[in-house]
Amino acid sequence: MKKPGVVSLLWSIPMNLLVYPMIALWTLLGIFALPFLFGLCKIFTRWDNGRIMRLLIWFYGRGWVAITSPFVKFSREGFDKVATGRPYVMVINHLSFFDFYCMGLLPFPLGNIAAAVRSWPFKMPWYAPFMRLAGYLDVESLGAAGYLRIGAKILSGGGSVLFFPEGHRSKDGKIQRFFSGAFKLSEETGAKILPLCLTGTDVLLPPGRWWMLPAKVRLTALPPVDPGDFDGPSAHMELKKHTKAMMTEKVAAMRGL
Amino acid sequence: MTDEKIIEIINTSLAEEFELDSEKMVPEAILYDDLGLDSLDRVDTVIVLEHAFKFKIRDEGAVREIITLGDIHRFVINKIRDLGVTQSAQPQG
Repeated sequence: MKKPGVVSLLWSIPMNLLVYPMIALWTLLGIFALPFLFGLCKIFTRWDNGRIMRLLIWFYGRGWVAITSPFVKFSREGFDKVATGRPYVMVINHLSFFDFYCMGLLPFPLGNIAAAVRSWPFKMPWYAPFMRLAGYLDVESLGAAGYLRIGAKILSGGGSVLFFPEGHRSKDGKIQRFFSGAFKLSEETGAKILPLCLTGTDVLLPPGRWWMLPAKVRLTALPPVDPGDFDGPSAHMELKKHTKAMMTEKVAAMRGL
Repeated sequence: MTDEKIIEIINTSLAEEFELDSEKMVPEAILYDDLGLDSLDRVDTVIVLEHAFKFKIRDEGAVREIITLGDIHRFVINKIRDLGVTQSAQPQG
């Protein structure tokens, strides 16, 4: 990764002094306001608890984006070609702890997302109850059969399921190998894959560093992929390869490689 | 087909499908811990092997007991002996 310039380093001082306390405040506010907001949503929307919680989390992510936006230039593209009124199996490349908060950049109709993640985020007591209420999937504890069953249930209820198919954050920005879970779920349910490509969060907050740096964060949606275009016992593997090739090419182009 | 050839086909097919580092592909490598495969990869492994060796793998006890790469080598070698499979097998392209 390129070394940050002097301006970037200087600008990062007020950034870190302001953003971290603001995020802590936003999180506290969210925790205390949640019962009230949840009740209001319940009265006015009649949605199920999971859907309400998923949208409140999306709104919380939007808050993260707003808080960091004086120091981070956010942009999104490709969503004009995505039908937003349907559930997807979303797959996104993984660069940073900040990645999931970037889901606040998604258009509102796509905000009904349950994330499929490893066990460690469920160990954060300030998040875990909300994640469970939202129907987030702990892929390590549930095992494949468990998360495929629950994922299918969320999709049938109109919610999308988001996977980081690499499983881990990339240390060099390049896309790593993909695991099959998302693609198996897509094949089993018929829900299209929505590939999302993210760049810039590795400059903002890469693995192993807590000092944030100003960055340009771009989120790009690629055209959805229909699992029906692949068949046979290895269909999900072909779907995985096809999606990975699309994303690898796009991420490289976004990074200017 | 020699055992060495069978092992070579297995390693090549799995390395290609799961993007594995060939240096890590030693017989004692544990599929989950050393090669980073997950439970669905186990299912995908069966598909890869069926494709590479043109045979069907049923839900056999021996498959469920596979822990290391060496176990896969032994399983396939025994299976080929049992079936008397002689047709040439090629790794996936």
